[in-house]
Amino acid sequence: MNATAAAAGSRDLDSRGRTVLDRKVLEKIASQVASEESFAGGSSGGFLGIGAHSDFSARPRVTVELAGNIAVLSVEIGLLYPVPLRQATEQLRRRISERVNALTGVEVRQVDITVTWLKPADEYAGRRRLL
Amino acid sequence: MRQHAGALNRTCLVILGILALAGGVLILLMASGTLQAMNPATVAAESPVVTGDLDAVFGPASAKAMVLVAGVAMGALGLLWILAQIPRRNSADRYRLHQDPASGTTLCDASVLGSAVESQINTLPGVVGASALLRGTATEPELAMKVTVNNRADIQDVLHSINTRVIPDLATALETPLRRTGIQLEVSGRNAISGTTVETTGTVVY
Repeated sequence: MNATAAAAGSRDLDSRGRTVLDRKVLEKIASQVASEESFAGGSSGGFLGIGAHSDFSARPRVTVELAGNIAVLSVEIGLLYPVPLRQATEQLRRRISERVNALTGVEVRQVDITVTWLKPADEYAGRRRLL
Repeated sequence: MRQHAGALNRTCLVILGILALAGGVLILLMASGTLQAMNPATVAAESPVVTGDLDAVFGPASAKAMVLVAGVAMGALGLLWILAQIPRRNSADRYRLHQDPASGTTLCDASVLGSAVESQINTLPGVVGASALLRGTATEPELAMKVTVNNRADIQDVLHSINTRVIPDLATALETPLRRTGIQLEVSGRNAISGTTVETTGTVVY
């Protein structure tokens, strides 16, 4: 009886098909999670990376190295100035690891963060503003 | 902003000075005859210092090679000393801000922090331009700034703003007090950057 049920369960699992998660999906999820932090931003505009400018509403650039179910993430991020960089990046690292793991089931082993720009909240101070 | 080889110069000049002083004292003792009175084996005053055949000493090829090597070494040292006189920025490369690299690294280029400091200084009233340079490590950072103000700026106010806002903000970002801070002030006839700012919350009616 048990053997029959197990065989039926196995057939049932096989019939469900496979779910393949592309590396880019992880990159976008991690990027979105990072951008949800109020003190973090990315770069926008430009052409082929030339002329891009810092933007708090843009998603940070994330690259993922996948080895089976383990991922190593590299995040290029811009931060609000002045935030304590160690605390902010540690908070970001923890949040990205937790959220990516919760949403995809992939274990995030490392999150390498490179701070590419720092900008104060009053970013327009000192410039002309269009009304 | 640039660092000079002041410590190296002082050390080398002290060593050279001690050697020259020792040589001068020796020559004076020899010339006055005091040296021979102290030690009869030494040469007497007003007599040739070298009495032997110099050709026998410097004749062999090994002696010539030794003199040549010593000359080249002294020349190289002198050249290195001259090259050390070139002013250097000695800026920090990348600050490592992580505590446990096993969970991931955190890197921040020192120029990124320098740009943030520059943009903050540029917003101060009366400031025409600024450049900032970070040296040292992430745990012992040093900040050098060059601030150009216009001739109407209140310099005391600018310095006060730098000391109470700019430097503490950098210390907050790096989570450590700055080990050393240097400010170089220049005065220019150009208009201040913040003088072109238009801050308004109202509506402009044309």
